[in-house]
Amino acid sequence: MRLCVKFTKEAPVRFVSHLDVQRLFQRAFRRARLPLAYSQGFNPHPLVSFATALSVGMTSRGEYLDVILTDPMTPEEFVSAVSPVLPDGIRIAEAFDLGESRKSLTSAMRTASYSAKVVFTEPIEADKLVKAAEELLSDQIVVRKKTKGGIKPVDIRPMVLDLKLVGTEGNRADLFIKGALTAEGGLNPDMFLTELYRVLGSNGLAEIERTEIELDRSALN
Amino acid sequence: MDKTLLNSILKKVEKPSRYTGGELNMRVKEPSMADGSKRNRFALCFPDVYEIGMSHLGSRIIYNVLNERDDTYCERVYAPWFDMERELRENELPIYSLETGSPLKDFDIIGFSLLYEMCYTNILTVLDLAGVPFRSRERGDRDPLIIAGGPCVCNPEPVADIMDALIFGDGEEVMNEFMDVYSSWKREGSGKAALLKRLSAIKGVYVPSYYSAEYDDNGDFRKLIKLDPDAPGSIERRIVRDLDKATYTGDLVVPYMSIVHDRVALEIFRGCTRGCRFCQAGFIYRPVREREMDTVIKQTDESLDCTGYDEISLFSLSSGDYSHIHELVPLILDRYEKDRVSVSLPSLRIDSFLKDDLEKIQKVRKTGLTFAPEAGTQRLRDVINKGVSEEDLLRSVHDAFVAGWHGVKLYFMIGLPTETDEDILGIAELARKVSREFYSMPKELRGKGLRCTVSASTFVPKPFTPFQWEPQISVDEVLRRQALLRGALKGIRGVEFSCHFSETSRLEAAFARGDRRLSEVLISAFEHGARLDSWDEHFNKPAWEAAFSENGLTVEQFANRRIDVGAPLAWQHMDAVVSQDYLMREHRKAYEQITTRDCRKGCNGCFGSRSGAICGKKPEENT
Repeated sequence: MRLCVKFTKEAPVRFVSHLDVQRLFQRAFRRARLPLAYSQGFNPHPLVSFATALSVGMTSRGEYLDVILTDPMTPEEFVSAVSPVLPDGIRIAEAFDLGESRKSLTSAMRTASYSAKVVFTEPIEADKLVKAAEELLSDQIVVRKKTKGGIKPVDIRPMVLDLKLVGTEGNRADLFIKGALTAEGGLNPDMFLTELYRVLGSNGLAEIERTEIELDRSALN
Repeated sequence: MDKTLLNSILKKVEKPSRYTGGELNMRVKEPSMADGSKRNRFALCFPDVYEIGMSHLGSRIIYNVLNERDDTYCERVYAPWFDMERELRENELPIYSLETGSPLKDFDIIGFSLLYEMCYTNILTVLDLAGVPFRSRERGDRDPLIIAGGPCVCNPEPVADIMDALIFGDGEEVMNEFMDVYSSWKREGSGKAALLKRLSAIKGVYVPSYYSAEYDDNGDFRKLIKLDPDAPGSIERRIVRDLDKATYTGDLVVPYMSIVHDRVALEIFRGCTRGCRFCQAGFIYRPVREREMDTVIKQTDESLDCTGYDEISLFSLSSGDYSHIHELVPLILDRYEKDRVSVSLPSLRIDSFLKDDLEKIQKVRKTGLTFAPEAGTQRLRDVINKGVSEEDLLRSVHDAFVAGWHGVKLYFMIGLPTETDEDILGIAELARKVSREFYSMPKELRGKGLRCTVSASTFVPKPFTPFQWEPQISVDEVLRRQALLRGALKGIRGVEFSCHFSETSRLEAAFARGDRRLSEVLISAFEHGARLDSWDEHFNKPAWEAAFSENGLTVEQFANRRIDVGAPLAWQHMDAVVSQDYLMREHRKAYEQITTRDCRKGCNGCFGSRSGAICGKKPEENT
């Protein structure tokens, strides 16, 4: 059977890389003695797949993985078996049965929302920030993106779906960013913020949290 | 500490989870005990990067021993990589512990693990980033107590001016006594001088500031003079008698990032009975003490349960020598097969008869096989008392090839005492025979292509070995012999060559046999920018050259000098329990090409008059 698991990645593990998160879950599942299904081949590994990676340094309230088990288990049984053996900073928010579906979670991803808490080098006015954001969003946002084929200019504007200023206080600003996130790729909020700092003419340090990944569950059936 | 700033740094540096802690099974304690009194704060530092330090079994044991004590909270710290050191300095942040993120200066004790000489500048990096003065005499009552343990303590002199105290021998045997003394001293609130006085009364604890060194007109070490009448004349190595009763690792901290030894390590025995004459570990961990199979199984169960690892390593200096190896390997394989746990056996000797075991290991997963003939000819193997023959090697690789392996590593040393070009060419001959062994097998019985790595390190004379008096060969000579071997290996099918960087081997030799003048050399080298010296690509040769010359010393006078047998040794106040008489006898036998039997086959009397007391055996007539 195949279970979908929604989990958090909080501050204590924010710097754990995606590869290491994968290993972390494999070990946790072994500690929980789950009936894991293994791949065939020379070096069998448990059949656990992740919807997407999270940038190192970001936290998240909802990442997704799926795991294939050889014996049936209810989502509730799964949560109560795994939760006690997870390290600090990883919690299971939800688990559900994917039934007979074999479609990847990645293919069902649509958007992702982020909360960015930015500390600027100087006090920041809300008006100025909103104006800078409007200016930035009014045209193409061409960034130089590292790809396998080298550094290429890419317009990230179409991937920015929503941007809101939640509030400012002194040199701090709180932003809500919604961006595309699909199997083809997604908005890199860090890169977007760098562009915003540029237009604003003020440097900032952001702590970014992915608050939600929108999964189209109908696409999994 | 400014969390936003630290996070922005961690986003920039390579492998940030080296610096974040928070791993599964990390110990968490409050600063105070139930009765309101403060816990001793102990920073345990392995002076190399996280992925190396976390792979060290001994520090895992000490971490558990200290944290088992209610009155102590032991936290971990490792040396930062170049990028992190730079960021910490630029942002004026102190180095901090992984458990609570506390600056190191806030700790009562900083304890370093000394595993190899080339980590010594990392100690200074850590102290410097902590804001703690380097020299013990520069530190006051409010600075942390700086101590060290580990195998390099058998010659502690190169760090003598830095350390307040050093612990000689098995740490789990001494740490509790040490902390008991520390706690009672802390309750009284007297100064550091009173603490050192009491610590030096513990067997195995060395307080270097109670001694001063004299040198002769040639600039060689003459003797150590006691400055304090109560200081012991010699420091006896501490030995855990019963490994079954000794505290082990407890719940293993499970790293997030992948580390060098990323598996459960089960120490099946400590010590080695073989007596290879170049091998320091073979002498300074004597006598052999085995863990019972039941203990090993119990610890395996517990470690796998609390970690979720899928690999265990049966760890020792020579795993094939474990009395019950042929029972243990199948037992462990059967027990964990359904959980897909694989087993590796590092340090296998080529004369261990493990054919059946290898076949069983192969069923679960192939792990690398390494064999260490050490020398290319029987003559030289007899000199070093390696006690293995060409037939042993060829039989072992044959068994491995039959069992499906096609990758083997062969370890050799260049520059062993009495070595000639014939011995070097002998290495290539052996490799050729291994290659032939593989390709003469029918295709359907063997793997696709042979991958045989011939690895040659440079011989480093080490204290408490029969070769402690021997010089290391010069760098030029090392390079010549490496080139000779590289040429001789050319064209052998499936064989590749790798060799160790000679500059670091030379420095390692200097520090292995150095005296306390090297403390200042070390500090100068650090100030000239030497860092992480064991990482060959970062080795800073000019820094070391400047450091030696500023102190009026040369690397050669320590590394390449032949010490007369019977002449003063900088480490002669350290009593490794193996007697100097025995080492002299072994030295003489090496030159006579006479081997010494494995001490499981009869006592050779290495502890001299203490043999009965130490390992319960009596020297017998040696045949």
